[in-house]
Amino acid sequence: MDTDAHMKTFDDIVYEIFNVPQSEVRDDMSIKDIPEWDSMNYLLFIAKLEEVFSFSFDMDEIMNAKTLGELRVITEAHQK
Amino acid sequence: MEARDLQLKDITVGDTSSFERTISEGDIAAFAEISGDYNPLHMDAKYAAQTSFGRPVVHGMFLGALCSSFVGMYLPGKRCLYMSQSLQFKKPVYAGDTVIVTGTVRSKSVATRVLSISISIRRDEEEVAVGEAQVQVLENQ
Repeated sequence: MDTDAHMKTFDDIVYEIFNVPQSEVRDDMSIKDIPEWDSMNYLLFIAKLEEVFSFSFDMDEIMNAKTLGELRVITEAHQK
Repeated sequence: MEARDLQLKDITVGDTSSFERTISEGDIAAFAEISGDYNPLHMDAKYAAQTSFGRPVVHGMFLGALCSSFVGMYLPGKRCLYMSQSLQFKKPVYAGDTVIVTGTVRSKSVATRVLSISISIRRDEEEVAVGEAQVQVLENQ
């Protein structure tokens, strides 16, 4: 994990990978709204969420999630 | 030299590998030709002598190229798809220096097949560059 991993939030990672400032992040954002959301960055985003929050997505979750909000809900669910 | 052929299942968090490389003046000249970076700090001994470095400095991205060698040849090797790389240059490196490139797997995402690998480049006990690579381990054809 990053040395500062425990400090990072979901929105920090959105900014780090997709370059969307925290003030502009909305849960309904999808690939249509985020220019830097391409297939490679999506994989990096998923891998970074797993690394920072210490959990593993399953394939269905990755394939079915379409918005940041859906990914946020999945991430939070894995924290419980 | 053949690249290692590690599969995702062969790799666990904490796995590490390293290799050594002595950097020659010829390496600097070759990198300048490939990259087009003929900056005098790398190429002109007289100019470099007038700077605080005192002699020509190895291109920072030559060290980046060693990171590429690391993931492409050692960990994971053959199945590597290089996705991203951060790199911080901490100390100058000079022709004749021998550096050791060491990488350690920090995280492994089974769902995406992505590894995060921290890479440290050291000369003796001194860390000259540090970075982090994200690579995907490709599946069998």
